[in-house]
Amino acid sequence: MYTLRYSPDSASLIVRLVLTELGLPFEARAIDRRAGELDSPGYRALHPLGKIPAMETPNGPMFESAAILLYLSDRHPGLAPGPDAPDRAAFLKWLFFTSTNIHTAVMEVFYPERVAGEAAAGAVLAHASARLRTLLSALNLAAEANPVWLSADQPSTLGYYIAVLMRWLGQCDKGTLAHVDAADYPALHAVLAMLEQRPAARAVALAEGLGDTIFTDPG
Amino acid sequence: MYVLHYAPDNASQIIRMVLEELAVPYRTALVDRSTRAQDRPEYRAVNPTGLIPALETPQGAVFETAAILLWLTETHAAMAPAPGSALRGDFLKWLIFVANTLHADARLLFYPEAHAGSAQALPGFRSQTEARILRHLGLLDTVAAQSPGYLVASDPSVLCYYICCLIRWITLYPADRRGWLDLARFPALFDLAETLQSRPAALRVALAEGLGPTVFTDPHFAVPPEGSAL
Repeated sequence: MYTLRYSPDSASLIVRLVLTELGLPFEARAIDRRAGELDSPGYRALHPLGKIPAMETPNGPMFESAAILLYLSDRHPGLAPGPDAPDRAAFLKWLFFTSTNIHTAVMEVFYPERVAGEAAAGAVLAHASARLRTLLSALNLAAEANPVWLSADQPSTLGYYIAVLMRWLGQCDKGTLAHVDAADYPALHAVLAMLEQRPAARAVALAEGLGDTIFTDPG
Repeated sequence: MYVLHYAPDNASQIIRMVLEELAVPYRTALVDRSTRAQDRPEYRAVNPTGLIPALETPQGAVFETAAILLWLTETHAAMAPAPGSALRGDFLKWLIFVANTLHADARLLFYPEAHAGSAQALPGFRSQTEARILRHLGLLDTVAAQSPGYLVASDPSVLCYYICCLIRWITLYPADRRGWLDLARFPALFDLAETLQSRPAALRVALAEGLGPTVFTDPHFAVPPEGSAL
């Protein structure tokens, strides 16, 4: 039994979608951010940096979205090539590409002042926004071959990961440097359009109040 | 046979030390940074991001340092807790913490002008980045002090090499800040680095890339027989 510590529409959403898609029993326990729970000793015992998500497992607390996804796919096959699969290398490189490059660039676009202070925020944002588009193009190119680990025909951990990141980018005001229109990346858009119709995605969207077209047109 | 696309004293060094530790055959292919070979179409065909390293494998070219490391541990069933084992989750979370938090911040430190945006933002950018790196190392030091199976220098995991190589570069770069990090503040990491740098695998790579004898605890700029670190 897993306990996912979550906050609606935060990075815990990626893990919640995957847990639900895998059909695993888990408890979703909300984090009281307004009360400062992320800085509480109890939460810091789960995640020393006080970030979201954290997940309690039979092997102790887990954090880092990509680590949780890999941990889950080791134990519950179906949404990613396993350690012995011939396309494991391709899956791992694009998972880490998404985690260390795309996710990082997304955070820089959302919080440019965290990188180098307010004075540099504009320059950081411009730089990160340009880099993000290059990275998304590379992932879109990889998705064009419709690999099982990022397919438009079946759910995958990496598919849910990129779908949530693109949801957030799509929510930014159009015309701003942070906004990304998923339709500009057709192969990724096809993955998003399939995933948002999955019963798992519908159930999580309802639970967190996210709306209907949660990935392709997040509103 | 594996082909490691490398530049001396670049992130490829982590992979090279692990390949030596695994004692698997491989050959190196120099990416000549002095002529910006990483931007040429031949290298971009291997790694579209142009980042070093890339490893050619029977499953095709792999890039992203942590992805290569994890794939090697699974393929050779060594240097990491196996999938499904009790320590696997902890190993994965710290591997990914190192990859997208410590390594990512280290990259900001090495290439500040690419991220800070303007010269006047540089000092603030550096002090913020250095403070975060010290916090990350403090966290890893606390974990290392408990000697979990994946952080034992006498039976090293890929994570040991990943952390110690980053410590080397954080100490060396940027060149005008060389030595800003006092590793003695992190005793468990210092012990890890000291033991690891005397392993034959680390010494062989140090020799091949001109890194000097104390590659982790007292690093000096590389004097490589071929190629360029920057």
